[in-house]
Amino acid sequence: MNSIQVSFEVNGRPVTVDSLPNRTLLDVLREDLGLTGVKDACGGEGECGACTVIMDGKSVNSCMVFIGQVEGCAIETIEGLAKDGELHPLQRAFAETGAVQCGYCTPGAIMAAKALLQENPHPSDEEIREGLSGNLCRCTGYVKMIEAVRCAAEEMSHV
Amino acid sequence: MSESITLGKSEVRKDAWEKVTGAAEYVADIKLDDVLYGAVARSSVHHGRILSIDATAAQASPGVVRVLTAADIPGEHCFGGLVPDQPALAGDLVRHYGEPLAIVIATSKAAARKAAGLVKADVEPIAPLLDPVTALGTDVSKLHEVGNLISRYEIKEGDIEEGFAEADVILEETFSVPLVSPAYLETENSLACWNADGTLTVWVSSQHPFTDQLEIAATLGMPPEKVQVKSAVIGGAFGGKEDASLAILTALAAWAVKGTVRLVNTRQESFWAHPKRHPVQFQFKLGAKKDGTFMALKAVAHMDTGAFASLGPAVGVIVTETLGGSYRIPNVDLETYVAYTNAPLAGAVRGFGSPQSHFAIESMVDMLAAKLGLDPIEVRRKNILCEGDKMFTGVVVNNTANSLPVSLDRAQEACRKFAAIPPLPGKVAGVGMALVMQSMGLGAKVPDDSTQRLEWKPDGSLLVHLGAPDMGQGLAMAAEQIAAEAMELPYELVNTVGLDTSSSPNGNVSCASRMTYMVGNTMVEAAQKLKAQMLEQAARLLNRPQESLSYSNGHVVTAEGEKIAVKEVISRAADDGIILQSESTFSFPYPEATTPQHLPIGMPHVLFCFGAQAARVEVDPELGTVVVTHLTAIHDVGRVISKVGVEGQIEGGAAMGLGYALYESMDLKEDGRWVDSFTEYLIPTSKDVPTYHENIILEIPEESGPFGAKGIGEVTVPPTAPAIANAIYNAIGVRVKSLPITPEKLVKV
Repeated sequence: MNSIQVSFEVNGRPVTVDSLPNRTLLDVLREDLGLTGVKDACGGEGECGACTVIMDGKSVNSCMVFIGQVEGCAIETIEGLAKDGELHPLQRAFAETGAVQCGYCTPGAIMAAKALLQENPHPSDEEIREGLSGNLCRCTGYVKMIEAVRCAAEEMSHV
Repeated sequence: MSESITLGKSEVRKDAWEKVTGAAEYVADIKLDDVLYGAVARSSVHHGRILSIDATAAQASPGVVRVLTAADIPGEHCFGGLVPDQPALAGDLVRHYGEPLAIVIATSKAAARKAAGLVKADVEPIAPLLDPVTALGTDVSKLHEVGNLISRYEIKEGDIEEGFAEADVILEETFSVPLVSPAYLETENSLACWNADGTLTVWVSSQHPFTDQLEIAATLGMPPEKVQVKSAVIGGAFGGKEDASLAILTALAAWAVKGTVRLVNTRQESFWAHPKRHPVQFQFKLGAKKDGTFMALKAVAHMDTGAFASLGPAVGVIVTETLGGSYRIPNVDLETYVAYTNAPLAGAVRGFGSPQSHFAIESMVDMLAAKLGLDPIEVRRKNILCEGDKMFTGVVVNNTANSLPVSLDRAQEACRKFAAIPPLPGKVAGVGMALVMQSMGLGAKVPDDSTQRLEWKPDGSLLVHLGAPDMGQGLAMAAEQIAAEAMELPYELVNTVGLDTSSSPNGNVSCASRMTYMVGNTMVEAAQKLKAQMLEQAARLLNRPQESLSYSNGHVVTAEGEKIAVKEVISRAADDGIILQSESTFSFPYPEATTPQHLPIGMPHVLFCFGAQAARVEVDPELGTVVVTHLTAIHDVGRVISKVGVEGQIEGGAAMGLGYALYESMDLKEDGRWVDSFTEYLIPTSKDVPTYHENIILEIPEESGPFGAKGIGEVTVPPTAPAIANAIYNAIGVRVKSLPITPEKLVKV
């Protein structure tokens, strides 16, 4: 198998990687680009959402995206969310409401929530539940995660 | 009570920033140079005799550095928390599907995985034993030298025959609960580095790094002091990470190649080879008077601990102790069998036996009430333990039992409120509840000390050297809040340093709903010692009699009322080479005078958490689908340390209980493989948890606890499944006695 060269944007910065084509975006983000905020919890089956990133504005499981599919795309990961040391309202809300326990699902859940709020800035609780339904969490029972998204949506609508 | 500084408040945990930015380093995120990758070759049969393991093809595969089998282990071949019966790598016998046979070490993850598939094991299959009752029969193969019965517990109190003779009604039922996974999101993984000086550094995701250190040292035949174990950020544990197996394998690999090796389990491997919640089969016989007074309970539990003991014998203790729930039953005859089988090992999982027994007893109580035509809540009220009651273990329950009638009242209010809500069209609604009793601690005669250290830094901040890992539940925050309160300092000034066996005190294993209690008690005592040191140093530096000085809110106060900031004293003491630090050890109390001594090791438990949960369900009577719409959880924590922390434990525990009730079961499929992925093993999502969740937190102080606090981690799981089962019965009249309650069990096809 020959490597392919793929150019795309990660958190606003252009990158070019050489990779075997059977590798996923998750593999490249973690192993080649050192973006280890992106997690794997289900073994690359697209079941847990821990590897959620935003690809051209939509949330995707990065374990389900072959690296070749990323050519020319804009990828956002948890590492790009805080600006100049200032947390994104979602990050702050997750921290302040107690939506973070072990934290392993947190980056993926925040990215899924970000994609949700981009599409729907005023989601109902039901829509938040739907938006987070691809992100498994075993610690929180989701109560505070839902609250965090609600708080962040409210804060962002005041900006 | 004066206004608290931080207790009872919802502080932001100190690790939240790194967790929401992706900066938190779990073991798999730690970046080291020249890392090799390990992959484990595993058994594809449930049971068999190993004739040979041929690693030739694997060894020749590109990128492979080394392949290790049991023959390469220099020290102890077996390990185990209670019984050393688990081989790090299988020797002559394979006892479960997925058991480690060899480790391949290669230059890339892909190369290691590929080569692991090339390890050829010639295994002569033996018929697998997959049922804990069958495994105890005659004419079956022995899985271990001791046979297949690892533990048997028996408690008899009163006169069981007399008790049943006096009963007006007797109910006999059987129940079963499945094998379930703790399903923490971070799979087991480890990173080990062989150092040039002949020592080993191992990063773990573990509830007990100090045990990992000993197990690794024993496996490698090294002195423990040459093995340094460091705790990384832990991505959930729930009991399942009281297991050293992956740390041992990683350390073995690093030792063998004299390099750095990373091992990360796939989710499948996590399902196959790491501790699960025990499946149990129960037989219950409960006798009561017409008015609902319990007279006698006979119960037998058969527990399947799988291929290895893990913590099965200790789980058996709690299964036995909770067979009678939170009730006063004068005559009991209880028996628990813990059996080896060829199933994946079962061990510690949040609740530790209590969720299993509670499903049975709390279903029994509702069934008995139905038989008697009584309100199940009133039946409970008649039988709940009261302060001063002697339990069947001989333990006299303390004042914390006063939370039971309150829990019952609150659950009753919730049930009434829920019952008034009409169901959606086409659905049938039902309301149910359950009580819970969860013990704290490891049980009598099990040594249980926890040591922590507090250090006052020259900038006036306080550093907690926590000796036990925070597995995500917020132990560090609880320790910091208690330390802040005890030291009269703001929470912001207290921080926690990561656990490292070479420098941290031994805080013991993080488990058994006792960490806030144990660690908190050490914080309180260490704070007292530190304040005394402060006054001693201040007296020396100010050249005044110590008695003329006092400590208040981060200041030394002189007789004249002059306030000196502590950091001035600390930094001047530091100039003289004096560090202000104190250590405290708390031993879980089992006072000889009040702790019955006639029971086996680990029995009895003497401190308890009580509570109740009430659930409302909507059932689709045609499809058999169940939605839990409302849940009220009532739990006594003694004293709230972190409000948000307690709520998080309740909400997460109830969600785990909901998964146990409705979805989770690690079944053996028709193709002979276990359910081993999140595709088939469903844990609750954000759409499955109740849209209405209410926490009612009670504070009945535990007098031996720090500021009155006790545990909350486990008690939140056991009542959920029986409350849901009772609600489903009340909705559609179908009593399901085996978990999970799937649609097939509710709709007769």
